Amino acid sequence: MLKNYIKIAWRNLWKSKGYSFLNIFGLAIGITCASLILLWVEDELSFNTNFQNQDLIYYLPTNQQYEGEWRTFYQSTPGPLAEAMKKEIPGIIGSSRSMGNQLLFTIDEKAIGRYGRFADPDFLSIFDLSFIEGNTKDAFKEVDAIVISKKTATALYGQGTSVLGKVIRVNNDTNYTISGVFKDLPNNVSYGFDWVAPFERFAADKDWMKEYGNNFSDTFVELSAEADFQVVDAKVRKMLPEKTEHEETYAFLHAMKDWHLRSNFEGGKNVGGQITYVRLFTLIAIIILVIACINFMNLSTARSERRANEVGVRKVLGSDKRKLISQFMTEAIITATLATLVSIILLWILVPQFNILVDKQLVLRLFNREHLVPLMAITIVCGLLAGWYPAFYLSSFKPVDVLKGTSVKQGGASLIRKGLVITQFTVSIVFIISTIIVYQQIKHVKDRDMGYSRELLVRMPVNGDVIKNFVPIKQDMIASGAIENVALNNSRILSGGNNGSGLQWQGGTDTEDVLISFRFVSSNFLETAGMEIVEGRGFSNSIAKDSTNTIITESFAKLMGQGSAVGKTITRGEIYTVIGVVKDFLYGDMYGTSDPVMFFNYNDYARYMYVKMKSDVAIDKTLAAMENVMKTHNPAFPFEFEFVDDAFNARFKSEKLVGNLSWIFALLTIIISCLGLFGLAAYTAEQRRKEIGVRKVLGSSVLGIVTLLSKDFVRLVLIALMLAGPLAWWVMRNWLQSFAYRIEINWWVFAIAGMVAICIALLTVSFQAVKAALSNPVKSLRTE
Amino acid sequence: MIKIQNLKKSFRTEEVETLALNDVNLNVASGEFVAIMGPSGCGKSTLLNIIGMLDNPTEGSYKFSDHEVGGLKERQRTELRKGNLGFVFQSFNLIDELTVYENVELPLIYLKMNKSERKQKVMAVLERMKIAHREKHFPQQLSGGQQQRVAISRAVVTNPKLILADEPTGNLDSKNGIEVMNLLTELNQEGTTIVMVTHSDRDSHYAHRIVNLFDGQIVTESQNRAMEARV
Repeated sequence: MLKNYIKIAWRNLWKSKGYSFLNIFGLAIGITCASLILLWVEDELSFNTNFQNQDLIYYLPTNQQYEGEWRTFYQSTPGPLAEAMKKEIPGIIGSSRSMGNQLLFTIDEKAIGRYGRFADPDFLSIFDLSFIEGNTKDAFKEVDAIVISKKTATALYGQGTSVLGKVIRVNNDTNYTISGVFKDLPNNVSYGFDWVAPFERFAADKDWMKEYGNNFSDTFVELSAEADFQVVDAKVRKMLPEKTEHEETYAFLHAMKDWHLRSNFEGGKNVGGQITYVRLFTLIAIIILVIACINFMNLSTARSERRANEVGVRKVLGSDKRKLISQFMTEAIITATLATLVSIILLWILVPQFNILVDKQLVLRLFNREHLVPLMAITIVCGLLAGWYPAFYLSSFKPVDVLKGTSVKQGGASLIRKGLVITQFTVSIVFIISTIIVYQQIKHVKDRDMGYSRELLVRMPVNGDVIKNFVPIKQDMIASGAIENVALNNSRILSGGNNGSGLQWQGGTDTEDVLISFRFVSSNFLETAGMEIVEGRGFSNSIAKDSTNTIITESFAKLMGQGSAVGKTITRGEIYTVIGVVKDFLYGDMYGTSDPVMFFNYNDYARYMYVKMKSDVAIDKTLAAMENVMKTHNPAFPFEFEFVDDAFNARFKSEKLVGNLSWIFALLTIIISCLGLFGLAAYTAEQRRKEIGVRKVLGSSVLGIVTLLSKDFVRLVLIALMLAGPLAWWVMRNWLQSFAYRIEINWWVFAIAGMVAICIALLTVSFQAVKAALSNPVKSLRTE
Repeated sequence: MIKIQNLKKSFRTEEVETLALNDVNLNVASGEFVAIMGPSGCGKSTLLNIIGMLDNPTEGSYKFSDHEVGGLKERQRTELRKGNLGFVFQSFNLIDELTVYENVELPLIYLKMNKSERKQKVMAVLERMKIAHREKHFPQQLSGGQQQRVAISRAVVTNPKLILADEPTGNLDSKNGIEVMNLLTELNQEGTTIVMVTHSDRDSHYAHRIVNLFDGQIVTESQNRAMEARV
């Protein structure tokens, strides 16, 4: 029986190749798209799952209260906290301070930079590093120890060399002894690192790291399997206020499984994060599959007359309804299987492109159960979903009706078909509208006045002799003719950095708990970044002269009350005099408002050097000039740089991802919907061949007939537009709510989306309509 | 074999109720060849469909080999039909996607017969209908006469007790028509009961008995003299 079904299914597919193509290709696009999304979702969900004790590991963010509002900070625990927790809170069996850093490893002529972490010994067991050489217990026995990843070991010493005990030069000034090599971490971890070295040595000369007053460190803890999270978390929350006698800052436990997916906090409470997109995209994958299945349903029922005779004959010959249903279901599953085969080929081609788009390294592992089973499940679900309606519809034909040749009444079916087309276009239009709004929002933020100019501004790391040789570096760079200005900063211009509260200033009342950011810059930083001084002056070139002066942002000046802030004093340990006020600039959250800033003229904390290029010199020439200068004055370190503009764009990764995916989803749903529409239009044209013939004989113009055939479809798209408008408005309004700095939704977005949908639908349908209208009426009339 | 008493069949559309069959009484004995005649719309096809268990009567009784058929559910009718009844249609109603062999094989598959037995039966009937050389062809590659012979093969391959033919020669030229009628006569002579709906006087003369239907009622029944003479 099954053989008979398969045979007839195959012959049917083969006989009407055009429709089969539309069916299979439409489904294949749907399956491909859903598979790509699910690969992405799988990767998102798999973050940090490689760690053995993932359920017991926690990070400690802090909640801090400023001006009555709780804000959550990362890298903000004091140094002694880790050890104190392990000692005083039962249930915590491991704890570690940690700070990420980029180190330069040098062997002979070879120098490579690698990111890694300074951490306490517990770090190695918390993250369950598996050692290829060395072991967890002995790794940090010596104070000059460092453990490195396998790929770092290979990069430094080549394949297959034992590296245990080798001494390595770090940052051109310190020696470390390699005490272990650990297996490379996968890509999908929140905290990646290629080396780990003792925090002890890193903190040795930094006494401020040993007090409770400074919040700077990452802290990780591991709970025992028996520990009660609630109890431990409650104790952790009490610890900082007790130690510091300061109620406004406390640390809390953030579970490893939430690090990637739920990392957003508002008012000190977790408000989700990436999980929103994971859920959204999963939903979209399902929607796209349904859209693709709709095509199958529509084309199968529309063309049911061709099968009606077969249904009648089979019933007469002794088949019952159940058998016919399983026959048509089999056909649908066969079609879905073919579609899956096509989509495997498509995936094979598209996964690398998709990886570029979403910035991941996804791999389709077809022979792996984790991918094969879901793919098979998708195939069968698609088959069943696409097949059930046609199966029930076709199998309910009465042999008496169909065998007599009276045409099958399609009233109910054609109504459902219309409903399905409307559904498809509603979804398409929602995607089009969403795409436009997401791109508008991204552009809106990017065009925001940031208070400085990102253009041709380059950031370089400060290492080796950069601070010492800053003056000649600056002189030589400007002398090259390609550089306008060079300056130092202790913080990235785009990011938050040092900050603090408890300052006192003249003219202020009750403003002590305002969080103020501190920037330690060289004297010409403001000009280099293109910041605008609204009052007073910038720093002079003599550091000594301005060592007790400060420049503040406008929002800070406002805090200092009426009148000019210039000349007033601010106390932060020492007393600083305000010599200038600069326009507010944007850093940290690109959608929010940034905290007030206080600039100090001090080079020694510098971690970044900013270089403003001249716009009339070719960039490669400028870069060559810069490299040349750096080779002279900081020869031990490789020339590294990043355009601030690129770093800025990278800030919008998830918004960009939503925008790009939304655009692709829009495109694909439209393609799928149009494939279906194309098929339906062809069917309608075929159905009405005789009518068209008669009309032409009676004198109808080609345009008249095209209009006749297209009208009904355009009406469906219009209905879809009515439904999609409010739906898209609601969805996008919710999305926009998550941004403080956002656009208003404009009515013309809906108009454009509607126009696009109608044009595309019209184009699709009119192809068939014109073909039908141009055919010779004599031919179509003779066939009766 | 067939006992029909006071049979009524009405079709209801939104406003009008049409009485297609009105108080029909008809008995067909085993081994008979009955032709049903009458003008278009007189209800002959409706009667044939009810006899063929494709449709249920609205009122009255229809007994097939002493089984009451009126009021059976679709699945029960399908069960009773399987293997007992063969159908021959004016428009052949072969499945285009199946070959000659596969078309004839289909009823046997629904009877869950095993493959070798099926093959033997199909080949035997195709040989007999002189169409075996075409077994691998698809219906559309055959002439009308050949297609109808395939359809008859399919109707008789299960050795049914009753063959129902709905204008079996309607789409054929006279030569092929005569051939088909001769085949049916032959089957009848071997003991198969045949009920045939026809427009054609020529075809009706092959039957033992002619039933004339008009406006849903049997108006005359006549024994076929010519046939008797021939027998």
